[in-house]
Amino acid sequence: MLQSNGNKTMRAVTEAARLWHIWLRIGLQDLRTRYRRSVIGVGWIFLNMAVLIIAIGVIYSNLLGQELRTFLPFLTIGLILWGYLTSSIVEGGNAFVNSEGYIKQIGLPIYIYVFRYFVSITVTMLMNIPAFFLVAFIYSTKFRLGTLWALCGLSMLTVVGFLMIAIFSHLNARFRDTGHMASLGLQVMFFVTPVIWPPDIIRSRGLNWIVEFNPFFHLIEIVRRPLLNSESAEIMNYLVVFILIGALALGAWFLTKKYNQRMAYLL
Amino acid sequence: MVSHEKIQSENGVFVVSDSKKMAFISLNNVDVEFHVDADVPRTLKSTAFQFMRPKRRSPRSIHALKSLLLTVRDGERVGVIGPNGAGKSTLLKLIAGIYYPKAGDVEVEGHVCPLFEFATGFEMEATGWDNIRTRCLLLGMPPKEIEEKMGEIADFSGLEEFLDVPVRYYSSGMLLRLAFASSTAVEPEILLLDEVMGAGDAAFMDKAKKRMDGLMKRASIVIFVSHSLDLLSTFCGRTVWLHQGRKMGDGATQEIIKSYKDFVKVSQSLSSDNSPAEAHIRQED
Repeated sequence: MLQSNGNKTMRAVTEAARLWHIWLRIGLQDLRTRYRRSVIGVGWIFLNMAVLIIAIGVIYSNLLGQELRTFLPFLTIGLILWGYLTSSIVEGGNAFVNSEGYIKQIGLPIYIYVFRYFVSITVTMLMNIPAFFLVAFIYSTKFRLGTLWALCGLSMLTVVGFLMIAIFSHLNARFRDTGHMASLGLQVMFFVTPVIWPPDIIRSRGLNWIVEFNPFFHLIEIVRRPLLNSESAEIMNYLVVFILIGALALGAWFLTKKYNQRMAYLL
Repeated sequence: MVSHEKIQSENGVFVVSDSKKMAFISLNNVDVEFHVDADVPRTLKSTAFQFMRPKRRSPRSIHALKSLLLTVRDGERVGVIGPNGAGKSTLLKLIAGIYYPKAGDVEVEGHVCPLFEFATGFEMEATGWDNIRTRCLLLGMPPKEIEEKMGEIADFSGLEEFLDVPVRYYSSGMLLRLAFASSTAVEPEILLLDEVMGAGDAAFMDKAKKRMDGLMKRASIVIFVSHSLDLLSTFCGRTVWLHQGRKMGDGATQEIIKSYKDFVKVSQSLSSDNSPAEAHIRQED
């Protein structure tokens, strides 16, 4: 039991990771629960997506003078990825608060609840991806070998998703209003991030910095660009995401060290 | 204070099953501390505006457990007594790995099955079946075993067709049945009980009691927190007496109960109309 502090922090994560047969099952079960109650089940994800894409797609393509052929695939993948980041922060932030009953009763390493939310949120996102391919098929977007760069981007994105859940679940348990603040911030970010408008529009008006200094842009770009253009994203994009992962990991490590063992008291 | 080594030789009940590793609990000089300051900000907003308020004292903390030494070996049934706030539940949560010690070592060998706070820990949107699965998984039951025991757990809960319904439609008694039935389906090595007997209606109480008896017999180690001195005498050969986070006594149940009763009598006569806990606080002040 005598361990250095850093060691303890790492063990909080690795010991939970080792219990994958528990969190994987419960995470998938959460997913089933979510869609069981609706008549059309998993189809709900698609319907939801379709309505959003048609509504925004038709209005904004006109507004911004974009061709539907390129704009709809762009919009679809952007919304899917944006949705993933938002639910990691907002929904994932409740990982501990919603598991209070278990945390106070069962002495498992509490990171299993982080993993549990990670599973259900990430699988939901992956289940959305076919919607993009459907749209891409309709508008005959070309896929070549370069498209595979998207896998690289996607795995980096899931790392970010996991770290977001870890950070916001700890923060939310300590400061209960973090969730509200985060969703407020995300609402603002949604309009500042090129999801429903292409980044080139703002570049042509000399407001490049709005995009370049926005980490969400880089996060989306590393998956979106390979899928749309069959080429890797810019080196700058990957670099920013790498730095972001480093910073998030540091934050998660700090919060875990500070609050993880005190979680049962905090809740 | 009677040392535990001595108790071990007096009680000498060893249930050794050769396939299993020996269960074992050892607490060495353990401190557990709570922050009890009500002013500690709970939101970011209040943290940000904290500087505007007058300076406060540094956060207070209370010792829930103070330099506690305790060794429990395979086969022992240990009761825990003490007034409210003595640290009994804290002790169980410490052994369960829910609380971490501020100082000292905690060593626990064997699979721990905690049975307390039944009223919480449900997925409100999920069905009764899924809640059984989740709880059993978290309590460490292998998935295959869960599916095998599913029928038996459902039978015992007596919830029948309600199990198909999301548990947010359940009454508190039904939730309790569900939690009890699934939690007690686990084969425990170390069983931690916190007066869970007061559960459900009379018919269920009887069933629950029988099931609990069986569970306590099969477990390698039982730690049993109770205010019922009768129950303690029936189940536990050894009893630990806690008071304000300190161990006041540790020995054969009958002896400890006797000195506990004497202590309560004395503190009651010192301040005639107060509970023993309050009386003791007054003495220290």
